[in-house]
Amino acid sequence: MVENPIKIEEKLALTKYVTDKNFAHITINEEICKTKCKTYDCVYGCPAECYKLVEDGDVPVTFDYAPCVECGTCRLVCPHGSVDWHYPHGGFGVEFKMS
Amino acid sequence: MTVEYDFDVIIVGAGLAGSSAALTLAKEGKEVAIIERGQYPGAKNVSGGALYGPVLNKIVPNYWEEDAIERYLTTKKITLLSEKRAMTIDIDLQDFAEPPYNGVTVIRPKFDRWLAQKAEEAGAFILDNTVAEDFIWKDNQIIGIESGEDELKAKLTIIAEGAVTLLAEKAKLAKKPSPSHYAVGMKETYELKKEIIEERFHLNGNEGISNEFLGYTHGIPGGGFFYTNKETLSFGLILNMKKLIQKKIRAIDAFEDFKKHPYIQKLLKDAKMVEYSAHAIPEGGYKHMPKLYGNGVMIAGDAAGMVLNAGLYIEGMNFALESGRLAGLAAKEALTTNDYSAEGTKIYLKLLRDSFVLQDLKRFKRAAKFLERERIFNVYPELLNSLMYQLLHNTGEPRKRIVPTAIKHFLKKGKLFKLMGDAFAALRSI
Repeated sequence: MVENPIKIEEKLALTKYVTDKNFAHITINEEICKTKCKTYDCVYGCPAECYKLVEDGDVPVTFDYAPCVECGTCRLVCPHGSVDWHYPHGGFGVEFKMS
Repeated sequence: MTVEYDFDVIIVGAGLAGSSAALTLAKEGKEVAIIERGQYPGAKNVSGGALYGPVLNKIVPNYWEEDAIERYLTTKKITLLSEKRAMTIDIDLQDFAEPPYNGVTVIRPKFDRWLAQKAEEAGAFILDNTVAEDFIWKDNQIIGIESGEDELKAKLTIIAEGAVTLLAEKAKLAKKPSPSHYAVGMKETYELKKEIIEERFHLNGNEGISNEFLGYTHGIPGGGFFYTNKETLSFGLILNMKKLIQKKIRAIDAFEDFKKHPYIQKLLKDAKMVEYSAHAIPEGGYKHMPKLYGNGVMIAGDAAGMVLNAGLYIEGMNFALESGRLAGLAAKEALTTNDYSAEGTKIYLKLLRDSFVLQDLKRFKRAAKFLERERIFNVYPELLNSLMYQLLHNTGEPRKRIVPTAIKHFLKKGKLFKLMGDAFAALRSI
């Protein structure tokens, strides 16, 4: 049987990345997240757990661009325009082989 | 002052739409370049993995003679899932076992690389590891793209960037889409021995199956998919973005929950996950497409919102291939008349309207709205499965008649009138 549930980190460990340490292709505006957001839609939408809820944190959500699979969901679900989405620089980011 | 062009046409994105456009233009002897941000064509691309054969055959005749596809599809299954229960419609059509094949399965990083290579062999330049970040404008006309410090100029630009429509928006042809009209698709690829795949799914040689699923998604509109490849399985779940965030269920958790269903577990038994991927999917259909052409520019494929979800038909790749081809033909026409303005590129719209691309999207324009009805996803699969349970379950008591039991079942659940309403809406939309 397939192990259940498989943690997202274990799945993402199978995916190849060429991480650009000098350029975060997505950034969030923490000030907006702090003052305007009450729904944390990015946390529910992201299929790679780049966004995590922080209990009692100053900013309610943390973000890491490294595991991003460049799907484009967060840019669309954030109702406050807090997500600034760019393509990674040429040759960087996720590299699918079997999808 | 005249512009010094580097190419006749620049195409952004070496996916199916982009490479199809490039191949079409290169065959006509045009100077064409594809800008691909990935490490190679296909490295950023995700699909369920099933594609129609006849359209592909039009673009690469006798494609099956090469090592491009995985399996040809002869079996289609549609499964309704609910807790512990599943009901499957199993369609086996051996008519589809002959070239050009009705449907085939593909692995995008491999398939896209192959198609891009076809374009390259025909004379197109492929610039991979290169991201098109913005356009060069002159007198309200797009005359090329910018990549970092570099500029590349072309008489025409075809945007085939895929579902993330950054450039279509910068070209002022699209607005940032609403999550109501998009879905998030998650996919896992599994390795399983060829012999086991063929035995488990009753496949002769290179036959393949597709299995789509309805239900067991926490009521979120969407569904699962499962395709067989040569030695791998493609399995995934697609969920409407807006409904997903409204339900406050993480996409990754909905996917794991879905996978727990015993029917799914049996499909994936002993298979080893080898890759995880995900992508946004435009699902707004005809009513939510961007403007498809402008001054010096055209949009094809997912970037143009050319995906159809009409229940039985869920397709995007064949629209990408055909719209790319038509964008190529339209570009050739505009190059012949030397009119690169919207007047010149307008012919693209005519070609699309004459083809299945816009005709199918238009015919099913109400489907997207219809499929927002949550009952389709959380009530009906369970309603049918529980009816089957009631009819088949032996209690040791005398049997009841079948049809009255069924009517009573629907009435008791209070769904008969809603069912009739939905059936009527289905008639109108799909």
